[in-house]
Amino acid sequence: MSNNPSQLLPSELIDRCIGSRIWVIMKGDKELVGILKGFDVYVNMVLEDVTEYEITAEGRRVTKLDQILLNGNNIAILVPGGSPEDAE
Amino acid sequence: MSGEEEATVREPLDLIRLSLDERIHVKLRSDRELRGKLHAFDQHLNMILGDVEEVITTVEIDDETYEEIVRMTKRTIQFLFVRGDGVILVAPPLRST
Amino acid sequence: MSGSVEKVSSGTTKTPADFLKSIRGKDVVVKLNSGVDYRGILTCLDGYMNIAMEQTEEYVNGQLKNKYGDAFIRGNNVLYISTVNRTLGDGA
Repeated sequence: MSNNPSQLLPSELIDRCIGSRIWVIMKGDKELVGILKGFDVYVNMVLEDVTEYEITAEGRRVTKLDQILLNGNNIAILVPGGSPEDAE
Repeated sequence: MSGEEEATVREPLDLIRLSLDERIHVKLRSDRELRGKLHAFDQHLNMILGDVEEVITTVEIDDETYEEIVRMTKRTIQFLFVRGDGVILVAPPLRST
Repeated sequence: MSGSVEKVSSGTTKTPADFLKSIRGKDVVVKLNSGVDYRGILTCLDGYMNIAMEQTEEYVNGQLKNKYGDAFIRGNNVLYISTVNRTLGDGA
């Protein structure tokens, strides 16, 4: 019963991602992929070895970052383990 | 030169507090900028400014050449209230060392 | 710090609070939702992610547009705060 996905709280799902890769899709045209180091009640997240993808008029811009604190305010979707490259 | 305890910034809002009665630069949403004397502020960054110069920057694309035309519209306002939720950045005058 | 072995070594957690403690006085990049970047030295921040920075440089589309001795950034505009990546030949 406890393994039923519907019994897993969203925060527990995110907690299980700590130490692994996570794909974050923001509201608007930004996505990030990185190793999740931790998060808080607002789902502000500390990410490491981050790749940031921005969709601009000139095309997709990719930025690499060592370690960031991502504001949880504008997060739309979290995909454990995934990345935009996998979805193409 | 100023007293050290007065100039310590323990939390971000201290930076604004230190700028009271000084001319500050405020960046607002929709490409608006204000320069004026800070009379008062609160924790939302609502502010009262005096002797304000407002600069609005607009970018138009020329229909024929597709060149960007940047327009700066300036006006002065004697006294105004800024609603905090539009504020992006506040820059105090350069602190003399 | 020493002798806390309750977490597996590969997956040591770092909460947002830990991160904020670790970056005071460091070089940071603050990216806003609008895409504008601010580079400078982090003076302090609060629970709203309001940020005070020194020696701040404003970059729009990667181009330096402005410099501020001190700058206050209102937290609601912040997308992320990043440590400065020392990847591309930055440390002589």
